[in-house]
Amino acid sequence: MILLYDGSFEGFLTLVYEVYYEKLPLTRIIKQMPDSLCFERCHEIFSDEKKAQKVLDAIKKHFSKERQRTIFNIFLCDTKEHEMALFEYIRIGFKNPKELANITNAHLFYIQNLEKELLSLVHKMYGFTRFEELEDGTLYAKVASKFNILPFLGEHFSKRLGKIPFIIHDTTRSLAFLRDESSHEIHSIVSFDTPLYSKEEAHVKEQWQRFFQATTIQSRHNPKLQRNLVPLLYRTYMSEFQT
Amino acid sequence: MKISPMDKLTLLADSAKYDVSCSSSGSKNNYKTGELGCTHNSGICHSFTSDGRCISLLKVLLSNICIYDCAYCINRVSNDTPRTAFSPRELADLTIAFYKRNYIEGLFLSSGIIKNEDHTMNLLLQTLRILRHEYRFNGYIHVKLIPGSSKELIHEATLLANRVSSNIELPSAKSLALLAPDKSKEKLLSPLKHARDITLERQNKPISMSTQMIVGATSESDFDILKLSSSLYQKALLKRVYYSAYIAVNHHKHLPVPELCKPPLLREHRLYQADWLLRFYGFSYDEILNEDENLDMQFDPKTFWALRHLDFFPIDINTAPKEVMIRIPGLGIRSILKILQARRFKTLHFEDLKQLKISLKKARYFIVAGNDFHRGSTLYEERLKLALIHQGGDIIQPTLFDTSIYTGEF
Repeated sequence: MILLYDGSFEGFLTLVYEVYYEKLPLTRIIKQMPDSLCFERCHEIFSDEKKAQKVLDAIKKHFSKERQRTIFNIFLCDTKEHEMALFEYIRIGFKNPKELANITNAHLFYIQNLEKELLSLVHKMYGFTRFEELEDGTLYAKVASKFNILPFLGEHFSKRLGKIPFIIHDTTRSLAFLRDESSHEIHSIVSFDTPLYSKEEAHVKEQWQRFFQATTIQSRHNPKLQRNLVPLLYRTYMSEFQT
Repeated sequence: MKISPMDKLTLLADSAKYDVSCSSSGSKNNYKTGELGCTHNSGICHSFTSDGRCISLLKVLLSNICIYDCAYCINRVSNDTPRTAFSPRELADLTIAFYKRNYIEGLFLSSGIIKNEDHTMNLLLQTLRILRHEYRFNGYIHVKLIPGSSKELIHEATLLANRVSSNIELPSAKSLALLAPDKSKEKLLSPLKHARDITLERQNKPISMSTQMIVGATSESDFDILKLSSSLYQKALLKRVYYSAYIAVNHHKHLPVPELCKPPLLREHRLYQADWLLRFYGFSYDEILNEDENLDMQFDPKTFWALRHLDFFPIDINTAPKEVMIRIPGLGIRSILKILQARRFKTLHFEDLKQLKISLKKARYFIVAGNDFHRGSTLYEERLKLALIHQGGDIIQPTLFDTSIYTGEF
């Protein structure tokens, strides 16, 4: 049976509940009704706070802290179809936690790799995120990444930017992490005006571009290596690559 | 001649770029609420220039004025280049402006020698004092210890910086005397030894230190270079040794002619590979090379070692311990960890290794996995070499009429 859910974490936990308690025979999990004709039975799961909470409590009881984090992390990989693998991960975890390390199981190997992919993306973005200073001193960064990494970036930059208020704007998901004295959380963005930059901003940006050029060694020119290390995908908002 | 602030940055960054170190790793998370900056244990690369090198730190010279005359250096006193300097305040402000925008992980500060050693070291420390005490900046700072500066100043540097370094520059005392008459090996190493001793008294973990050697400017063999690196690692003096392929910027009677000299990038790459074998793979320098030998250009050092020690192979990946497995050519630490994790659950065959996305390109000639081993070529050095070069799998026995193997046309 194909199960349809709304794409939220709560919805997914409800799905886990239904499969367990209603003994639904599961073959596929999808987020949207397929346009094409479907010969299998399709059943829609409606998010239910109580059911989701029950599953969440059980997960917190049966899974180690690290593995709980894996489950949450995988859910941030919102552009991948990870549902069946994640479901298997949870099922196996309840049955026999030791088995979760068995990467000869294709689902478990997929989960391990996907989490690595997420964490390596996060690590890259720790470096490649660029802030611009606004009129009022707030730092503003735009990101457009494959996965939803705002929770990671928010925590990382809260640690290093001290008292400076900042905004990290995920332009593909219309989400923003806001940080000032009163707020420390992710909001969804309804409308957005181009902000005004501080007086120094253009100057500092130019200094950065000059530095970037000056620190290059011409006799070691190797643009292919550069492409491997900063793929074009990441360069959208990196000022040193804008001319 | 008046130099504009923009040109000053260009000039001083340009002069500092031949320093290879860009590492910002190895410092514990030192986050303090409400203060600016924090280091990241694994280090963070913030950008990559078109030569493929990473930018992690704002790498600049405080000044390119220098009283020394080292033959290989672009800033030597006998060169006629424009000279300029940052004030400590200017440099601290620039660091903060860059850091806030997440351009950099911190500052890498070096300098030519102005007036004398102590005066220069003092200017460097002045910059660090502004950053650490005024801005309460906790980001990464790498500062060069000026050889010949006083112990008090070196002491202060170890308190303010995350990493200190002093470049050995050339792998032997003889070459130093030839090319850098103002420096000697003792003078270059003494600030490092001193820094280690004082930080050891203070805490049980010494401050992390590194050095750099120029490769290809003088006649030392790779064996000499690795032997030196290895002894520096063993004395726990250094965390890293960097190798820098010699880039000719000056004419000098003892140096290769700039117009005819390309930086020996492959040799540098092989040295780094060998360095990794020393630090992470449990090899010793005399296992990698024999006396006065250079590293092989065709094969990486691990494969080269394996070809000389075929009696060590094949290795059964289902039973061999980790320290044996890491000697298999073509398998890195990550692949080994995957194998160790997976083999607890089943006997692994070639097919399983492929499933685990482990490359068998080189490794297949050297391993046994369950019933699988590479049947095409036996563990016979010449044949293996051919197989590795051509990566064709099975090797066709050359006949009198078949010269395709030698010409490479398969």
